[in-house]
Amino acid sequence: MLDVVIIGAGPAGLSAAIACRESDLDVLVIDEFPKPGGRLLGQLHQEPTGEWWNGIKETEILLNRANTLNTKIECGVSCHHIEKTETGYLVHTSQELYKTKKLLIATGAAETAAPIPGWTLPGVMSIGAAQVMTNVHRVKVGNKGIVAGVNVLSAAIARELQIAGIDLHSMALPVKNTVTKDHAHPEKVMEGLVRIAHLAPSPFLRFGSKFAQSSKVRDLATKFYPKGGFKMWGMPIHVRKAITQINGTDKVESVTMCDVTPEGDVIPGTEEIINVDFVCIAGGLYPLSELASVIGCPFRYLEELGGHVPVHNEQMETPVEGLYVAGNITGIESAKVARAQGAVAGYAIANEPERLKQAMQAVKKIREAASIQFHPQIKAGRAKIHRAYQEYV
Amino acid sequence: MKETIICRCEEVSLEDIVNTANTHNCSAREIKLRTRAGMGYCGGRTCRPAVNAVLEDLTGEKAGHNVPLKVQPPVRPVTLSVLGGNRNGH
Ligand SMILES: Cc1cc2nc3c(=O)[nH]c(=O)nc-3n(C[C@H](O)[C@H](O)[C@H](O)COP(=O)(O)OP(=O)(O)OC[C@H]3O[C@@H](n4cnc5c(N)ncnc54)[C@H](O)[C@@H]3O)c2cc1C
Repeated sequence: MLDVVIIGAGPAGLSAAIACRESDLDVLVIDEFPKPGGRLLGQLHQEPTGEWWNGIKETEILLNRANTLNTKIECGVSCHHIEKTETGYLVHTSQELYKTKKLLIATGAAETAAPIPGWTLPGVMSIGAAQVMTNVHRVKVGNKGIVAGVNVLSAAIARELQIAGIDLHSMALPVKNTVTKDHAHPEKVMEGLVRIAHLAPSPFLRFGSKFAQSSKVRDLATKFYPKGGFKMWGMPIHVRKAITQINGTDKVESVTMCDVTPEGDVIPGTEEIINVDFVCIAGGLYPLSELASVIGCPFRYLEELGGHVPVHNEQMETPVEGLYVAGNITGIESAKVARAQGAVAGYAIANEPERLKQAMQAVKKIREAASIQFHPQIKAGRAKIHRAYQEYV
Repeated sequence: MKETIICRCEEVSLEDIVNTANTHNCSAREIKLRTRAGMGYCGGRTCRPAVNAVLEDLTGEKAGHNVPLKVQPPVRPVTLSVLGGNRNGH
């Protein structure tokens, strides 16, 4: 019987494992990807301070520490089911069946698809897939592409593709339908755009962050958004144009783009064909919580955190005895926050009250200083989920 | 205009789901079972949020705090031999 199994070797899982190993617990980390690091591996961006955040380097630092502490990490192993027993958990994986006293689920986030006509053609990929191919596998995803979906994640990854020398025509919205909804609504997208303004060397977008508070001004800006888009790193970002269809017989050959109203409705007669050989679709992220759901953990739906989130307290404990969660499964935030949350979960599992307290303070500080923020109301969301935990105990 | 595929594993289009909802006037769960949307090889990994959004829109059933359309193990595609307890797939 192991002391703890950690599902997910991203920044949250790895730092939790390190914290547990400091107390010499018998820990096993499993991850279904061939390499440890999770979504951290693909990340490369410049902070407002000018410093670069290099995910591969950050992963190495975590792995070195984990290795020094003789941490067992098994990659290429998928967990497909977990069961609760009298004394702990049975973890069913594609390789072994593990028995453990405690369990930490740190499975991160998944991407939401933005289905538009033609999105099943070869050459269409999620923006995260383009990131992994470019920065992890070092495979060129295509010669000329376009991004459907304008948000924090797609802007950051579009920049990474540019740095890798991949030509992007522009970023635009996906066409509006029941699924793409808010991602296809210019006014709502503008709201998100002003939050990434600090990443952009464009005077308009930086100016934009000043009127972020005023929805009236934002709506005016959406209305008078320039036809040619605003440029971020030389690439036009359109919020008044949508990709209505991806064209091609055996693979992507072009997209059809149309002008849209401030509400996202297509303006007839504005079709334009743009030749591209790949398309990245970006519909945002949601917490990947399927395993917590299988085990019967209670959930809350909190838009502030990115979707359905397992109920947990500030120590990362769930109401299910011996079950902990950390990282993006608890809400969509940047890698630095996920890493800090992992330490909290680890010290909570190891029962180290002093270090636990410090780690909890660190999470708050890091959240406060985060340069990448996926949801503006994250703190309110955190407060709600912690209150929900109180209702269960 | 091309159709919009929602569930790529089972090749279910938005139109299929809308037509099923209109014909049978049924619950989200029944629409899912009738169309097989989200029930293919990937287990809904790709389309779960899309299927949920469409079904919520059509049936007006709000998901609330419970995860919509119950998550069933296995949550990853696994071979029958693994499920049967033969761990190395022999
Ligand atoms: C596509 C994408 C791009 C992102 N880009 C950025 C970015 O540029 N900057 C930023 O700050 N944040 C980014 N994020 C947010 C990101 O989620 C966090 O930065 C951080 O990586 C979260 O850490 P984590 O440890 O919670 O999860 P992750 O880093 O996602 O790690 C989770 C791990 O769990 C494994 N796993 C999941 N399910 C199972 C299972 N059933 N069995 C076994 N293993 C499993 C996965 O393989 C993965 O390695 C991105 C997220 C995604 C999805």
